Amino acid sequence: MKISLDWLADLVSWDDTPEVLASRLTAAGLNVEAIETYEQSWPGVVVARVVECGPHPDADRLSLCKVDTGDGEPTQVVCGAPNVRQGLHVLFATVGTVLPGDFKIKKAKIRGVESRGMICSASELGLGEDSDGIIELEDAPAVGTPADELFGHRDTVLDIEVTPNRPDWLSHLGVAREVAAIYGTKLTPPPVIKPPANPGHGWKVEIEDYAACPRYTAHGASGVQVGPSPRWMQNRLLAIGQRPINNVVDITNYVLMELGQPLHAFDGERLASDTITVRRAGRKLSVTTLDDEARPILADDLVIADGDGPIALAGVMGLANSEVTESTTTLLIESAFFDPGLVRRCSRRLNLVSESSYRFEREADWDMVLVAARRALYLLQEHAAAVISGDAVDRSDPDRRPRPDLPLRVHQVNRVLGTDLDLERASDYLRALSLTVQPLSPQVEAKTVNLMVGVPAFRRDLLAEVDLIEEIARVHGFEFDGRSGRQASHHAPVHTREDEVRTLLRRWLPAVGCHEIVTSTFMGRAQLDALGLAELDPRQQCLSVLNPHHGGETLLRTSMVPALVDVARRNLNAGAPAPVRLFELGRVFWPEGDKRQGKHELEHLLPEEPRLLMIGIAGVTARGLGGVPADLVELTGLVDEMAKLLRSELRCVPGDVEPYLVAGLQWEIRDARDRRVGTVGRLGQAAAEAFDLDEPLGLLELDLGRADLTPAPVTYSAFSRFPAVKRDLSLLVPAEVTYEAVSGCVRESGGNLLESLELFDHYTGKGVPDGVAAHGIRLKFRSAKGSLEGATVDRAIEQILVALSEKLGVRARTS
Amino acid sequence: MQDAIDALRGRGLSRIESAATADELEAARIDLLGRKGEVTALLRGLKDVPADERPAAGAALNRLKLELTDAFAARERDLRGAGEAVTGLDLTLPGAAPVPLGTAHPLLTVLEEICDIFYGLGYDRGDGPEVELDYYNFTALNFPDDHPARDIQDTFFLSDKTLLRTQTSPVQVRVMEQVTPPLAYVFPGRVYRNENADASHSSEFFQIEGLCVDREISLVDLRQTVDAFVERFFGAGFETRFRPHFFPFTEPSVEVDMQCVKCGGKGCGVCGQTGWLEIMGAGMVHPRVFAAAGYDEDAYTGFAFGMGIDRIAMLKYGVDDIRLLYENDLRFLNQFRGVL
Ligand SMILES: [Zn+2]
Repeated sequence: MKISLDWLADLVSWDDTPEVLASRLTAAGLNVEAIETYEQSWPGVVVARVVECGPHPDADRLSLCKVDTGDGEPTQVVCGAPNVRQGLHVLFATVGTVLPGDFKIKKAKIRGVESRGMICSASELGLGEDSDGIIELEDAPAVGTPADELFGHRDTVLDIEVTPNRPDWLSHLGVAREVAAIYGTKLTPPPVIKPPANPGHGWKVEIEDYAACPRYTAHGASGVQVGPSPRWMQNRLLAIGQRPINNVVDITNYVLMELGQPLHAFDGERLASDTITVRRAGRKLSVTTLDDEARPILADDLVIADGDGPIALAGVMGLANSEVTESTTTLLIESAFFDPGLVRRCSRRLNLVSESSYRFEREADWDMVLVAARRALYLLQEHAAAVISGDAVDRSDPDRRPRPDLPLRVHQVNRVLGTDLDLERASDYLRALSLTVQPLSPQVEAKTVNLMVGVPAFRRDLLAEVDLIEEIARVHGFEFDGRSGRQASHHAPVHTREDEVRTLLRRWLPAVGCHEIVTSTFMGRAQLDALGLAELDPRQQCLSVLNPHHGGETLLRTSMVPALVDVARRNLNAGAPAPVRLFELGRVFWPEGDKRQGKHELEHLLPEEPRLLMIGIAGVTARGLGGVPADLVELTGLVDEMAKLLRSELRCVPGDVEPYLVAGLQWEIRDARDRRVGTVGRLGQAAAEAFDLDEPLGLLELDLGRADLTPAPVTYSAFSRFPAVKRDLSLLVPAEVTYEAVSGCVRESGGNLLESLELFDHYTGKGVPDGVAAHGIRLKFRSAKGSLEGATVDRAIEQILVALSEKLGVRARTS
Repeated sequence: MQDAIDALRGRGLSRIESAATADELEAARIDLLGRKGEVTALLRGLKDVPADERPAAGAALNRLKLELTDAFAARERDLRGAGEAVTGLDLTLPGAAPVPLGTAHPLLTVLEEICDIFYGLGYDRGDGPEVELDYYNFTALNFPDDHPARDIQDTFFLSDKTLLRTQTSPVQVRVMEQVTPPLAYVFPGRVYRNENADASHSSEFFQIEGLCVDREISLVDLRQTVDAFVERFFGAGFETRFRPHFFPFTEPSVEVDMQCVKCGGKGCGVCGQTGWLEIMGAGMVHPRVFAAAGYDEDAYTGFAFGMGIDRIAMLKYGVDDIRLLYENDLRFLNQFRGVL
């Protein structure tokens, strides 16, 4: 809401700079977001008299004039306006003047004739819309008078953020009330007409549905002369960003901005009957609103109708069929109270938010309904020659009850605020806000009601005791030492395993070279399609936003792969050195996943939101152990290390799972319960092309929610201090025998002295027969009882070699 | 005596210095320090020194003995080390760790840091879904249907009953449905607003919500908690202030400002010359929210607060465009090495 200080000063006084006023309003809850200056000023534009006016020698539509600006010789100027003539007093822009729109007046030759300056129209000065002719000044002001003396205006405007609970602040009077409360000054309401003694003005009002329209008042005015509104009113409207139109429209607009009550002016002569009815539209139809748009309305929409049909959408906008025009002489002014929800639904459905609907949906001020109309009639009398012939028609719901007083417990005030207020202070604070206070019990103690508080109609937001407590806090201020009710907490926070796992991973993964990323929840269909998932894959089922913002993706991601691929690609393209290691801990949204458990009956509508860990290593071309790509060796190694970090069982088992990973180069990650909880693999060619990624990308995906990550207990167990005996074996392993088989066989046959085995070399090629790989395996033997004899170890090695040969056809390599 | 000591020192040191092999050095050691060596001989001669000079002479001899011992050890190291000394390498070449250091994302690091502060104040951590029921995001938080208060937050709708949560506040009701006071919780997480992105707005961002409920919690507790947080996160010496505001689910509601972290209150570009930065919204839990959670409205009081983690992270690290936080550009992330 923009507040003109020039305007505000009519209603209340304060003695501070705009900046201090703004900060005090902000402290009271009216957040001043900006202080703006509004200025109408035209240095170089002066009053001049047209002393000569004849046709331009070379152009039919132009006139050649001489104007007297009061400083000696008349100035020659070419003018194109149809209404220029000798003797006129005009506004003249001298050479060097800069007009609005950065239009600089220069000495010029127009069709061969010198012109030094310009006679101005209203639109050229930004004084109005009229661009058809020059301004004709009335009352012959003295030549040479600066235009600023006649039309100049300077104002300071506060832009105030008004929260939805305070519609009373959507007006100058509402803000003036706060200023009066802050500075302890008196509020001066603007002048209104005295209601005429004779009843009625010939029109009747019927309300069919009091729930939809609890109150409707109609006011008549005749003899109206439509024309421009007074300059001061135009200036104030312009200062707060409103466009002046004519006196009638400007006055209804002015009253809305001044008092917060929307009014509507109908052209009385264009109404088809003496009776207007507030009713539901009754059927679907199309109407044309004041903004010349055709709009569909539904049977349930509330309209104002005459004998022929709707003349206004209640609270939203009038219709063109009853619009005030230049020839209007009779007015019917509406001031009403409509149901907020009804206005809001209609305005939202039509996507038509007007100054009226904005206020009605926040609830009108019951007591302002008549006052605002009378204010408008006062201004119409003064500035539009209106004659007020009879009093208003005022229809309201006969069953409407006044708002009940609110009980207040001072003990509860102190309990919530931590204050130590007594009855008297609390009462004073409430009275300062124009609330009435009726004392009950003087005992300030729990559950005792001390005051009954009467709330004026303009405070629509005060509905319960807690609202009064907030008002007391606002007046009392927030700078006080008070009572704390929180016992010093010795509570030790309960950390869930999920919290621990997240913390461990976020600290560990950077140490092994990974960068954490945070990517969008939204995903495009093309990104999902790039994964090539099976039609029946549950990840194909995505939630989708009904109202995405312009250009935004609409799907909620069911996989984090696309986003990670995108980050890898952008970083490599930006020149990041390979390999680029990335990880993300994030959520995906699976509408087909496990249903949430919760108290609300609609909980089943919510998707499963699994927490995933994604790791990606991009740009690795090297091969590692046994020819496996080095990034995948690293990722499967990270799974082993992660298992140690989390003290849980996680292992990689070869197997194809994902269509977007290279077949034959994938692992499942299995947890302690041997369930598949993730995958490791290389992004396949088709997907890489779809994502426009040129470099290889290894991916690890782990479902942290589903995996059993229960940590093994941390308990010391004794270890042997006797020395270990190490033996290296060089084995010739046929291609079809896996390392898993070899290591399993060694473990089985190695006896209980075998402490560990480790693959330190894997070799194929020269010196090794075709179809065979050489495995270098280091064995470590140790006893808990004493140092091992060489012969004991030799026997164990012998057993191992026999088993390998018999079961797997694996032989020791002889050098 | 002194002359004899000085003479032996000169002779002994030059003999040690000139020993070219371990054997020569060993021979010199026997000659000088051996049981029949020259130092021992001089020690024996001490008894012939006049009694008043004897202590000084003894000390001088002892010193000589230690001096020669050190000289032997030094020469021994020289002779032994000659074989393993290395020359000709450029020792200014760079080292190489197995992998270069990665980074944690600063946004989530700030999130965890804020949580840690509240753990220290006795808070637990709670969590709720990002796809939320209209009921928890609005209705239970006292946003009536068809009320303009719902316009405060532009919402992404998924159906007429479900939406992307616009705030972390719905977790308040979810937790209160499960837990009986006293309780103190933080709920961090991602939230969504249907608005176009610019330097200070993102349609997805992170918030942290706090909730504390007991029988006698007051606005003063909220103030003390806010001040404790500001001091622990930003350091001592920043003032805070409460401004009245409106949120449907708290009453009274306030916005919390702190003195600008950049200029300390004098006014600068970061704070729009006001000297103050808005850091969170807060207030006392509205009785209707207690009612929605199934509490007896009058039995408890409590406070809640919510702040944007992106904004806090931007203030902390001087990041001037929120989009940097979601681009995941390594040139940005690498600036946060060691921030965990
Ligand atoms: Zn600043």
